[in-house]
Amino acid sequence: MFSLYKKELQGYFFSPLAYTFIGLVMLIFSGFFVWWIFTATSTQVEFQFSYFFYYNILLTTILLIPILTMRAFAEERKNGTEVLLLSSPLSVSKIVLAKFLAVATVLVIAMVLSLIYPMVASIYGYVVIPNLIASYVGYLLYGLAYIALGLMISSFVATPGLAMLLSVACSLILFFMELMLGSSFLATLPIVSDVLYWFSNQAKFENFTQGFCQLSDLVSYVTEIIVFLLWTIISIEKRRFSRS
Amino acid sequence: MVEIKHLTKYYGPKAAVKDISFTIEDNEILGFLGPNGAGKSTTLNIICGVIPSTSGSVTINGYDIEEQPVKAKQCIGFLPEIPPVYMDMKVNEYLMFVAGLRGVPASKRKSHIQRVMQRLNIQDVSKRLIHNLSKGYKQRVGFAQALIGDPKIIILDEPTVGLDPSQLIEVRNLILDLKRDHSIILSSHILSEISAICDRVVIINHGEIQAIDTIANLESSAGANTVLKLKIQGSSREAARIIKGVEGVLRVSNITFVKTGIYTYDVEIAHRDVRNPLLSALLYGKMEVLEVSEERKSLEQIFVNLVNQPVGKKKSLRDLLDEMEDESQSTASEEPEEAASAGEESEEV
Repeated sequence: MFSLYKKELQGYFFSPLAYTFIGLVMLIFSGFFVWWIFTATSTQVEFQFSYFFYYNILLTTILLIPILTMRAFAEERKNGTEVLLLSSPLSVSKIVLAKFLAVATVLVIAMVLSLIYPMVASIYGYVVIPNLIASYVGYLLYGLAYIALGLMISSFVATPGLAMLLSVACSLILFFMELMLGSSFLATLPIVSDVLYWFSNQAKFENFTQGFCQLSDLVSYVTEIIVFLLWTIISIEKRRFSRS
Repeated sequence: MVEIKHLTKYYGPKAAVKDISFTIEDNEILGFLGPNGAGKSTTLNIICGVIPSTSGSVTINGYDIEEQPVKAKQCIGFLPEIPPVYMDMKVNEYLMFVAGLRGVPASKRKSHIQRVMQRLNIQDVSKRLIHNLSKGYKQRVGFAQALIGDPKIIILDEPTVGLDPSQLIEVRNLILDLKRDHSIILSSHILSEISAICDRVVIINHGEIQAIDTIANLESSAGANTVLKLKIQGSSREAARIIKGVEGVLRVSNITFVKTGIYTYDVEIAHRDVRNPLLSALLYGKMEVLEVSEERKSLEQIFVNLVNQPVGKKKSLRDLLDEMEDESQSTASEEPEEAASAGEESEEV
């Protein structure tokens, strides 16, 4: 399993994909960082991160994570290399896990690099450490959930481009779901808004940015990741039965 | 050793493979022969555990591919129709990756892939991107991949497609060399390839096995009667009459017009001793024999016959050969002119 993980990771770093991803994540971070300093109202800057992370994760998940996940299974299928993996002594769940961990590693690298912003902020201002840690935990889990979603979509189709488009579309649909949640119309339908709230990633993420690390939110994100990964495994197994 | 028992695979309502059973012994090269779309690749994919079967079992060195896939797959090296290579990797990186995938211990990987590369003669491209290699090299890299981890059983799905003639010979020699310590299944729709290297052949069509036998048996059963090809100057009616009059001649067929007064004849004789009486009879009858050549009923003909069998009507090889005989005898008894027009047909038989 490790060799597949290594190969996947190499694949990201020997191609422009990982650099593009990390670069764009950093660009988004710096953009919001600058914006946040420009709009600061007091001279003693308190690095609170809540809005900062809120918009940041939206852009990252909708636009950037699909770049990483699109190739995962779609390209293997397109090039016929899927046969190599399936005829090797690796089980499908291990294949999926190796690919998931490889993408997760790229995300973690990007996040570690992004720590430079709080570090700079801590020199000139005040950083709320518990807040920061909770935000990063939330960011990681949120990102992993979308990685799992992207892998699942990549396992459905045979071309990376299509996988990317579908992933972006799915993320956008989820994003609009979040938007609706705040509307006054849905406030009149408490049942619907409750159900949507359970599935809302943003609402949970907001708790994290406020510095709350709740068990229910953690469990919810982890469940989401597991469901998407299981679905990926099922979709690959299912195709084994019907491929010709 | 690989044992395949009652293997069946359905894609929806359509059966791709129906009730196939055969075994591959140790140190044997088994040819898997059939036209395109006969179910060769499906069967090989099932043996390798890439796709599951609908029913039936595949046992590899005692491990069932469905029950103990990890152990079973460790015994198999598989080269699919399209070499499963990553275009964005270098050859040695790719082979290192496959070695890891197959569980070759990290300390031995380097020397192991060196040995495999040497065997396939690809050391000189080891640092090149697979994307930039020619088709023949890509095929060889795919072949190398199948040898990584020293699997006991090697399964090759049309391994010689896209190779030039010299590479073809190299690959053939390699397969023969591998035979010493491996069992090999080799699929192809090219007959000469199979007959050149395989010990036994499985002929498959429409998902069903049509024949399993050694090459020698197939050939001897088919080539029991010798066919003489004669080119004779003179009336075809007269020549045919003379030929048929000779004792030991089984049939005359395929009388074709070459140019005015010259025809070619396929004469099937019971044994070689008939040749001289036949020729002397012809000369005695004032016929001028321009050419005599001998041909044996080749494996090709059996193959064509087997695969052209109507679906569902399964016959043994023996029945089929008898039938071929009957057919040709009935053709031969017709008038030569008609036989000449039927020549095209009997050529296919």
